[in-house]
Amino acid sequence: MKNNHSSLRAQSKTASLIKLIVAAVILIVLIVMPFVGGAYIRNILILIFLYMAVSQMWNLLAGYTGLVSLGMQAFIGLAGYVLALTTQQYGKPIWLAFILAAVIAVVFALIISLPIFKMKGVYFTIGTWIIAEALYVFFANWAFVKYSIGYNITVAYRMNLNTFYYLCLVIGIVSIAVVLFILRSKTGLALMAMRDNEDAAEVRGVRLYRTKLMCFLIASVVTAIAGVALYLNLAYIRPTNAFSIEWTVSMVFIVIIGGIGTIEGPIIGAIIYVLLSQILYNFAGYSNLILGIIAVILIMVAPKGIMGYLEERFAWDIFGIRRRIKPKS
Amino acid sequence: MTPILSVKDLAISFGSNHVLRSINFDLYENEVLGVVGPNGAGKTVMLDILTGVLKNTAGTITFMGQEISKKSIYERVRMGIGRTFQIPKSFEGMTAYENIITGGVYGAGMSEKAAAAQAEEILDIIGMNEHALTFAGKLGLLDRKRLEIGVAMASKPKVILFDEVAGGLTESEIAGVLEIVAKMRKLGYSIIWIEHVIQTMLKGTDRVLCMANGVDVICGEPAMVMSSREVEEVYLGVKKK
Repeated sequence: MKNNHSSLRAQSKTASLIKLIVAAVILIVLIVMPFVGGAYIRNILILIFLYMAVSQMWNLLAGYTGLVSLGMQAFIGLAGYVLALTTQQYGKPIWLAFILAAVIAVVFALIISLPIFKMKGVYFTIGTWIIAEALYVFFANWAFVKYSIGYNITVAYRMNLNTFYYLCLVIGIVSIAVVLFILRSKTGLALMAMRDNEDAAEVRGVRLYRTKLMCFLIASVVTAIAGVALYLNLAYIRPTNAFSIEWTVSMVFIVIIGGIGTIEGPIIGAIIYVLLSQILYNFAGYSNLILGIIAVILIMVAPKGIMGYLEERFAWDIFGIRRRIKPKS
Repeated sequence: MTPILSVKDLAISFGSNHVLRSINFDLYENEVLGVVGPNGAGKTVMLDILTGVLKNTAGTITFMGQEISKKSIYERVRMGIGRTFQIPKSFEGMTAYENIITGGVYGAGMSEKAAAAQAEEILDIIGMNEHALTFAGKLGLLDRKRLEIGVAMASKPKVILFDEVAGGLTESEIAGVLEIVAKMRKLGYSIIWIEHVIQTMLKGTDRVLCMANGVDVICGEPAMVMSSREVEEVYLGVKKK
């Protein structure tokens, strides 16, 4: 028995060491990539980091708390406008736009949580979408933000692209770290329980409203921060693109194919989505249709997404969120 | 002796449908109260009211000296009311061990470390050490039922509500459930046990309450209740002569 426990401990240590080495290698590769990969690879990676960050947040909501939002574009659009106004209208630095976007996002999320948290299921989904659409109408008719004309975000042309790359890398890593921290904490147990059975979770003592609100606020902040970076990358903003449902549709695609309710899913999904988008760039009219077909086929083959399938088939737990019984020494 | 749980004139209506009209009973410390009655008698609805999932439209529920009708589900769990479900509602994407830890952390307000230590003890009581790291979704029915009891125990309840824990199990599996109930009695739990597998339940209960059409028909010693005319009429379908 004692030998068995020692062997388990040794196996667990080896697995942790391998994970650490792999993570370090990936990080080093990502750090040196701007210097060895060229501009195209750098831009692809920027998109992967940012789409992964927003998808992690959508997954946190839909995959764990059951809040299926179709209105995350509200936070991206608000963040884009905060960036445009801060840097174009008032000539203030970019970092201030990040802070303001985070603050405005959390305040906006708190305000809209009052009505939309009274809605459940599909009503919540539609409610979030309507709020984003209302923002679109409001911004398109608001003189202060130049109606539908929008802004060219010229500060984006003056920034160092390698610095921007590292900023996006940090946003991507932070989004994973935030979800990882939550899932490894006590709240992680509540989220996994809610993901599996909300009614039972409540009867076991989980406070649904409080947990959902906390995740909604965190998701709004991280989405807004990534939104500022997305608009630095786009370098222009109009109400049509700022509050377009396409932002959320891409998050849904990424999470569904990667694996909903898994931390690894949005990473795998974002890589696939960005690479596919590049390939489908030349089929502008059909790209969404092709993405849709791919998603449907994948759902039929692996209903829980790629990571969900691997987790179920091989009990993969790359980020170590599972609770394990510690072998007694 | 003061009852740990006292229910007086409990009633609930959904529109014109009066599911519970008047339920009365007391539950004492370390007592197992069996509840029988035909389908539609309102047994599960009563458990839903006791846990706060449904709100009673009339009557009182006094738990440890406090009227709890207005208290939330969360408050009732923290006060010490745990339950199992007729169809097990385990967290399928979590292991049995994690399910029980969650019960301890959220039901009893324990630290995760303390809840993990408690989970190992509970796994022992419910005989699930071997399946500790198995995903709940992959467990068989008996183990899911055991796990339900384990998760409910983790919240350190004073009263546990069993909703057909023996339902759907084979005779040998039922013996396993009875063994757990016997252990729980030794640990001092008070239990309300709804069951259709009556012979099983009678082996583990102190008193039996019979419900029909939303009212309590009779309550007392198991043998007396089961042989009473009232139970024969409303539950076993024997007609008056």
